[in-house]
Order: sequence, then structure tokens, then C-alpha cells
Amino acid sequence: MSKISTLPPAMLNPPAGPPVRRRRRGLQRRATPYLYLLPTIALMIMLMVVPIIMVSGYSVMDNVITNQNPQPVGLANYVEVLTDPVFRTAVGNTIYFTGVSVVAHLVLGLVFALLLNSPLVGGRTKALFRLVYVLPWLFTVAIIAVLWRLLLNPNGVVNYLLQAAGVIDANVEWLANPDTALHAVTFINIWAGYPFFMISLLAGLQGIPKELYEAARVDGASIVQQFRHVTLPQLKPIIISMALLDFIWTTQQFALIWMTTGGGPINVTEMLSTFTYKLAFSRYEFSLASASAVIILLMSMILAYFYVRHQKARD
Amino acid sequence: MSNGALARRRFLALLGVSALALTAACGNGGDDDTAAGGDVTLEFSQWWEPELPEGSLRALMDEFEEQNPGITVELLSGPYASTKEQVVAGAAAGTMSDVVGLDGAWVSDFVKQGSIASLTDVMGEAGYDDSQLAAQIQIDGATYMIPVVNFVYPLLTNDQLLADAGIDAPPTNRTEFAEAASAVNDLGDDVSGWALPLSLEAPNGVQNDVMSWVWASGGSMLADGQPAVTNAEVTSATEYIAELWEAGVIAPGSFTMKEQDKVEEFTNGRVGMVISSLAHVNTLRESNPELEFSVSAIPAEDSYTGERGIPYASWGIGIAENSEHKAEAWKLVEFLMSESVNSELSSLANAFPGNTESVPDFVEGDPVFADAFEIYSSGYPENEFTGLPVAEELMRMFGEELQRTLNGDQSVDEGLEAAQARWSAEF
Amino acid sequence: MTQSTLVTTSTHQRGGMKKAGVLVGLVLGALFAGFPVIWMALSSFKSNREIFESPPRIITDSFSLDSYITILTDPVKVRFFVNSYVIGLAVTVLTLVVAIFAAYAFSRYEFPFKRVLNVVVISVQAVPPITLLIPYFGLMVTLGLYNTYPGLILTYMVFTLPYAIIMLTGYFNTLPRELDEAVKVDGAGPITALWRILVPLSVPGLVSVGLYTFMIAWNEFLFALTLTRTQDMRTVPIGIQLLMGQHSYEWNEMMAMSVLGCIPILVLFLFFQRYFIGGMTAGAVKI
Repeated sequence: MSKISTLPPAMLNPPAGPPVRRRRRGLQRRATPYLYLLPTIALMIMLMVVPIIMVSGYSVMDNVITNQNPQPVGLANYVEVLTDPVFRTAVGNTIYFTGVSVVAHLVLGLVFALLLNSPLVGGRTKALFRLVYVLPWLFTVAIIAVLWRLLLNPNGVVNYLLQAAGVIDANVEWLANPDTALHAVTFINIWAGYPFFMISLLAGLQGIPKELYEAARVDGASIVQQFRHVTLPQLKPIIISMALLDFIWTTQQFALIWMTTGGGPINVTEMLSTFTYKLAFSRYEFSLASASAVIILLMSMILAYFYVRHQKARD
Repeated sequence: MSNGALARRRFLALLGVSALALTAACGNGGDDDTAAGGDVTLEFSQWWEPELPEGSLRALMDEFEEQNPGITVELLSGPYASTKEQVVAGAAAGTMSDVVGLDGAWVSDFVKQGSIASLTDVMGEAGYDDSQLAAQIQIDGATYMIPVVNFVYPLLTNDQLLADAGIDAPPTNRTEFAEAASAVNDLGDDVSGWALPLSLEAPNGVQNDVMSWVWASGGSMLADGQPAVTNAEVTSATEYIAELWEAGVIAPGSFTMKEQDKVEEFTNGRVGMVISSLAHVNTLRESNPELEFSVSAIPAEDSYTGERGIPYASWGIGIAENSEHKAEAWKLVEFLMSESVNSELSSLANAFPGNTESVPDFVEGDPVFADAFEIYSSGYPENEFTGLPVAEELMRMFGEELQRTLNGDQSVDEGLEAAQARWSAEF
Repeated sequence: MTQSTLVTTSTHQRGGMKKAGVLVGLVLGALFAGFPVIWMALSSFKSNREIFESPPRIITDSFSLDSYITILTDPVKVRFFVNSYVIGLAVTVLTLVVAIFAAYAFSRYEFPFKRVLNVVVISVQAVPPITLLIPYFGLMVTLGLYNTYPGLILTYMVFTLPYAIIMLTGYFNTLPRELDEAVKVDGAGPITALWRILVPLSVPGLVSVGLYTFMIAWNEFLFALTLTRTQDMRTVPIGIQLLMGQHSYEWNEMMAMSVLGCIPILVLFLFFQRYFIGGMTAGAVKI
């Protein structure tokens, strides 16, 4: 019994003769990781890969859903999407929106996590602040959108407070002015998203061995140096993983933008997600929308590839 | 027991649990539409139930079930803003409800998708006399949607603000309107003359608040069913709106304002005038009992004396093409369109009936509604977007070009030409 | 706190300065994070009209709990909350279990197609869910999962698993392999190593992943709407959206519903937050 128990769990059959057994053991050893991955793979194939394949199929038809006899048109839809000037605007806006959001999420998340991890403040105080800091996280995006529409309304409380503080002299149409709208939605997204980083980094900070700091202090490292040479390198794997995930998630942020500006004014907040949505549900061009989705998928696959390569190099 | 054995058991348990979850899940679905005994369950999906007083639509359905033994109605209610996606996805998957609430702007797209049935055929089979129907939305000669109730969009004016500004009667033509708007605007205190919702998320402001100016002067944005937004009427209305914009009498936040925001601004006395549906008059009175307001026709061009088109939106109804109970579904439509039920539904929704014989009871009791009914009867309901292909996208395109124009990126003529080109591509 | 007893008086003063700095930072951050939420909570007590008043008022004249009472006494709305919790909890537990195994494979084994699998797991998240809606809907109907709890639970797992796997792989990678080897030398299998050593040491990571998973399931709107049909299957985000009517919003009820929705999550967070401060992994990594 004890011999079998050292084997991977796949080894459930009674052991056979020695040569077969060795071979089987090798096979089982190789099969083990796949067994662990089985539920994940089954689920992902059934509910993610299959729909994606269907969408890819749509993308090479003239149109689907609204068209009862779709005909294949090759890559025409891809050409049409890629040559659409609005698509390029959307790519630019998405890059700004995503880039600024991810960097700000990271910086805020890290600063707040460090503050909350500070040994200088008492446990109860920290507990209270921790609670306040996760608040933005607790709301569904529909509410975040209407709440900020209310706050940023030209007659809303933000303008009122900023005027009272003398920062602005007239009411600003934060979301309705083409010059400020993109920054405003980015700000809202920053507010709504940093707790994700904060929580993960807070958990990561707990994992840094105290000895590393003690050693650094013995070497005469300042707080800043400790941060740069101990904290950051230790958190780096978490930061990179989260930055990648956040980047991917933010590029497809739809509801927040749709419900605050609808991609407007004009098209200053048009993102890849709103662009794709309008193709699908406003123009009923499901094939064009599918082509756009596949393009987005390919772009993120490239990103994911570099991430995985980086992971591998690190190992 | 060794650790390994324990671990194995755990692992097996995990596999078992996930397999169970999957199979349990798979065996769980597939509701039967038909209950025992040949009874029929009709699904009726709409966004109306949450808009109406609580339980009132259900009560009507109970009445229907009583009159039609063997038919049960299941109400499936969703939020208005997402109803369209639901219907499109449902139709694509073949699970569309038997009876569906429709907006005029969606009809053409659903017909193209083949998801809603020709009511002309269904009515023919049922031998229905359609003379009482106020309107039928037709595509290529066949009816696909019947407006059950209609919400008209007259001009609402805040009596107090207008009086403060020295205006004693609601404006009747464009010059008067511009004067009134600017007088109200001069009151200061963050008060504006008019609200123009141009949100691109819900672009129906283009229909209700922009094109309404065209229709009120008897104009049209189409010529022989094709886009004609560069014509004199649309140009003059757009130029007029651009002048109001230049004069600064339009409430701030216009480019992201939605219908609901417009209503809040008016309710709270921050705009003097809005073109707005009567549907929320009761909410308006509830949330601001001191607000005194009047209802009048949308101002026309100064020289115009003809009948005025008044924009409206409908709660329309249609039957799914893949419904197995079209005859029963029609009974429900017929029930909703019958004189007394239609009156009742109109009263509940503060809307005008889709049956020409029906008279909602609020018309007699309430001066505001009496005025509105007067305007409704003396003009003609107009909504040129109804039945157009990708109607919502057309509104959005026009809205986008109008925003560019108002923002000073292009002239009125350039904007209209751009809109014309984009519309033409969709027809 | 314990450190201050070790330092000398001069650094003690500097410590006081630092403490003040940290506190100021915390308060500023709290204003940024909390103000909108507090505004929402205040609004939920106001009448619809007061919400839009200018200049804005902080405390309402007509303080009223009506919106809360309306929601809590409506069995349909209470059902939304029940649904959201059942689904959220099921998704969290199942995601964690499935992801722990997957992360273990990624962290401790080398196998063909590992990189490909990794790329797939990460990048499928980038497909805009809205484009998947139509094929997805058809799939769910075919599988008989339309309008069921399992339908929503499995759907959300597809969205939460990639994140959970990536994060947990990261946490497992920080734990030295010597730990599992030590257990295996004692005659235990890799599963024991996983559940006895890696999982307990990763509790802070598991808690943060679990919380995030719960939040995704709790807040999701698009699929919750599309994959359910009847009122008794709908979740809180849809309940909130139902208050956004065609012509006007029920502002105070929307706000009240959001406030009510987040209170239990806050309790959950309070309960679990000790894992963020305990430094549970710190000892282990030393080995």
C-alpha cells in the first residue's frame, strides 16, 4: 500500500508485473498534470472554446443571425473592420484607457497596500481603513455608472465641491465635454478597479519574509531602498500577473463606458468593446462584430504569449 | 489509512463533484411549454411590467386566463434597456417568447432576422376585424407590430419659471420658443431654457427632441422611404437647434444626457422647457408636488399653419415566428387591443390607446392629460423611425454628427451631408 | 507597534512624524475611495427630488427608510439577493477547488502543451463577452442549462477560473518545492503535499482569489440577464437595472438596493480579513 501511495493519484489500478508497471508508472506520471487540469479543460472547452470557434465561424460569413442563408466571404469582414477609421479611433482610446487604468490601479493599489501594511498604525485603525478601501469593489457596474453620472453631473456634487474649493470657476461637463470625457471615464474605471490590486498586493506583502527586511536594515538600507530592493522584487510576480490580467479585462470593459457615455461625446470614448457592441446589437452586423472580436482575441494572445514566455524565462 | 489513500479519495471526490455538477446541470433544463391536459402556456416577454403599477399587468393576465380557460400566461419581464438584446439572442437560439413587447425601432431588424411572425396572416386566420386598430406597423405590406399604447411627446413648460421670466403662455412657434428659452436662461441660478438629451447610449433623443421639430412643422426626414436629411425642413430645424446651442440656452451635459436625466432636470426646476413623454407625469408630481407645468404642442416654424406631427413612442406587440401557439398568442394580442382592456392599460401607463374606440379614464379627470389628448387629436402622431432598418443606429449616427456640429467641428450642412451619407449606406 | 519599543528616542520622534504621514495618506485615500459610496448611502435615505437638488444637500430633510422597506418586504427582490448569494458562493467554492488542482499542475509539473494551455487560459478572457452572447445562449439552451443555477454557475466559472489559476499558480510558485518533497519523503503522495502543505500556506492568496471570484459572480450583469428568463432566477444587478425604467429611474431604491447588496459582502470581508494581516506564509518560506 505504501508504495502505491507515493504514486500519482492516477495510479488506482493494482500493480501488474514489473515491466508493465514501470511503463504504466511513466505513463501515469505523464498523465498526472492533465488529470489535475481535467475539470478546467473540460469546462473551458465546453463553454469557452466552442463559443469562440462559433464566433470565428461567424466572422468569415457575409452575415449571420439576421441572415438566414449566410455565405462565406473569406476575410472581407476583417478587412472592413481594420480599415474602418472608427476602429482605429477605438484602438487608440482603448490603449489610453487601459494603459492609464492599469498603471493607476497598480500605483494606487500598491500605495494603499503599503499604507495598510504599515506597522506604524494600530490594528483596529487599519481594519477600519481596509474596509473603506475595498468599498468601490462592492458595487455592480451599473450602479458605479449611475453613481458617477450623478456625482459628475454638471450640477452635481463634484462640481459643487471643486467650486467651493476654488479649483474651477464654472461647472464642468465632465462626461459630456469631448475634451474631458475620456479622462473622466478613465478616472471612474481607476476608482472602480484599484481594490483588486490592493487586495492581491496586501496578500503578497504578507508573504515577504521579515528576515529580508531585517537583513536589509542591517546593511543600512533606507525605507526607499528596502522598498526597491526587497518589496518590489518580491511582489514582482504578482504585479506582472495582475497587470496582465487587468490589461486584458480593461480592454474589454464595456458596461461602464456604455452606461456613462455610450462611446460619446462624438466618439472620444469609443472603445473596442463599444465598437463591437454597436456592430452586433445596433447594426446587427454580427459577422463584422465577430471579426472584431477575433481581432481582439488575437491581439491578446500575442500579449499572453509574451507573458508566458516571460514566466518561463523566470523559472 | 495512509495519506496517499486519503488524498486519492479526495481527488476522486473532486472528480465526482464536478461530474455531478455537470450532469445535474445538464438534466435540469428544458421546461415544457405545454402542461398536462393540452393546456397552453404562453410566454409574454416585455419591459412593461416594471413600468406599470405593481401587479397590474398580472391582474390583466389573470382576467385573460379567466376568459380563456386552458391558456396560462407567463410574464417574463426585463429591464427596458436590455430588452432588445434579449429578443435578438432569444430569436437566434429559437427560445423567443410566444408574445413579445416591441419598440417600433426594432421591428425592421426582427423582420429581417425572421424572428417575428406576420400578423396579417395570423389576423387573417383568426378572422379579426382590424378596423379598431389605430395603427399597424407594416414592412413590405404585412403587419408585424401593433402599437398597444402610445406615449406622445408634447412640450412641457414649467409655469413658475416661465412666469418669473416674464413669459405668460407656452411658446407656439420657434421664435417665441427661442425668446422664452433665453428669458428663462437669464434667470441664472443654473437654470437653463431647454434640455436636449443627445446620449449615444440611448440615442432616442434624436427622435423625440430633434426630429420632433421637423415633424411639428409638417416636415419629413425621408423622401420615398429613403433618407433625405439634407432637405430644407431638416436643415432649418438643425440650424435652429444650433442657434439655441450658440445662445447657450441648452442645459449642460447634453452630449451624455438621457431621457431620464432630462426628466430629472425638469422635475427639479432646472430647465424651463422639455419635449417629454407624459408617461411619467405621475412620478413627476409625486417627486415634486409644487411643480406647476403646462402641456402644449411642439412649436412649429413661424409661418406654419398646417397640422402638426407629434412624436410618439409605442409599446408594440408582436408574435414570435417560432411560436407553436400562434392562435392562442393572437388571442392575447386581441385581448390587449380590445376596447375596455386597452382603455385600462392606457390609463395604467398614462398613455394613449392603440384602439381607436378606447378612452383612457385620465383624459376626463386630469386637465394636463385633457390638453395632451387635445394636442394628440388635433395633430397626427408621427415617428418616421418606426419600421426603418437599424433605426436605433440611424439615430445614433445622426446624434454623432449633430454633436460634431454643435461642438464646432463642422457646419450644419456638412453634418447633415455626413449623416445623409451614413444613413444611405444602411438602407 | 512592537518595533517602536526597540528604537531610540530620536528615531521615536521621527517615527511619530512617519506615523502622522501614514495616517494622512490613509485619510486622503479613504476620501477618494469612500466619498462616492457615502454619497450613495446618503442618497438612499433621500427622496428622489432631493438627490438632484443643487447645491447638493448632505443630510436629508425627509429622512426615510422607505426605499429599504420597499425592497426588504418585496419577496421578488429578496429572491434576487438569495439567488446572488447562492450563485456567488457556489462559484467561489467550485472555482477554488478546480483552480487549486490546475494551479498545482502548472506550478509543479512540466508537460507537453503547458505553454499552449497557459496562453489559451489567459487569452480567452479577452474575447468581449458581448460577442459570445449569441453562440453562448444557443449553447446553454442546447445543454438544457438555460434559466438554471448550474448554467450561471458554470458560466461564471469560465470567467473566474483563468484568474484563479494564474494567481494561485503564482502563489504556489513562491512556495519552495522542498516543502512538497519533504512530505513525499514521508511517504505521502502529491495530493497530500498539495492539501496539507501548499493549500494551508496559500490561505491569504486563496482568500483574495475567493473574494474576487465572489465579486465577479455577484456583479455580473450581461449573462445573468441573458441566461435567465424568470424573475425567480434573476440576480441583484438585474434587480437594480429593473429600477431603471424607460422614462425615469427609482434613484433611492437603486441606491438602497446597492447598499443592501454590499453589506453582507462587507461582513464576509471583515470575517476573512484577518488572513491579510496574519502574515501566515511568512514563517513557511523560511524553510
